Amino acid sequence: MRSRDGNLSLPFTIQLILLTFFSILNADEYLISYRYVVKDAILYNEKLSISKTMRKCVGEEYNHIILENNNSTNIKKIIANNNISFIDFIHKIGLNVNHKAQTINSQNHSTTILTLKTTCFKVDFNDNFVRIAPLK
Amino acid sequence: MKFSLLLALFLSVSSLFGAEIEQANTTENVVAYEANTNVTPIPSQRETQNCSSQKFLARNSCIRVSVLGQGVAPTNTASPAQAFALAKRAAIADSYRLIAEKVKGVNVDGHDLIKNMMVKRSTIRTAVNALVQNANITETVFKDGLCEVEMEILVYHSQFN
Repeated sequence: MRSRDGNLSLPFTIQLILLTFFSILNADEYLISYRYVVKDAILYNEKLSISKTMRKCVGEEYNHIILENNNSTNIKKIIANNNISFIDFIHKIGLNVNHKAQTINSQNHSTTILTLKTTCFKVDFNDNFVRIAPLK
Repeated sequence: MKFSLLLALFLSVSSLFGAEIEQANTTENVVAYEANTNVTPIPSQRETQNCSSQKFLARNSCIRVSVLGQGVAPTNTASPAQAFALAKRAAIADSYRLIAEKVKGVNVDGHDLIKNMMVKRSTIRTAVNALVQNANITETVFKDGLCEVEMEILVYHSQFN
């Protein structure tokens, strides 16, 4: 039943509440780690590992990124499609820097390894976008 | 009787003016105190956004650390775009390393092997291990296969408490 002043009807409101409730329930948790190696100023190796968690993560969200998903729920495909922005986001979260350089008889060789240690991310799937937030 | 009434009226009027003057003085003092406190304000979070590039980190302040990282594209790339992407990634890693070196410091280890008064082998090893968060890229230049990334980070005094 729709009132005269244009308010939302009761069934529609209930439907909206249920939709919101199920969209909240549609959150998954993933473990993501990232590592890349630079040797002598040249990128040598890069690895992004994504895995669904087998047990619930403990922690609170402290940052988030919103990516387009085009009705997909495959997180690997979504991240692959938004590779640059997600890698930038990982850089923002913070990376461990491990650098070693060796100079032998004035010849320098260096290796820099940047690592995001395995971190739990909460992923909320919606119709057109996906919200990814690390847990701490 | 008349004089006593006049005297009482005069005293009350004078006391009223005196109170007003005193109140004005106290308000002036308050304003002056506030003006004095404004000379040396405690930097709020908004003010500390404008961090300076000074060398030392003073209390309730922050410094801006700015570095220029360099990366080279590999020779066997499929396209110039790929070369740029790879070189930029290498330059970002170099920038992170430079920031870590500036903020945390470098472990240096040196060995010189000398035989018959001659240097046979000279070895210098340096190592850095740190966690870098919230670094921002301010400028990226790619020219002749070399990518230069200018990166900066704000270091707050409160982060070291």
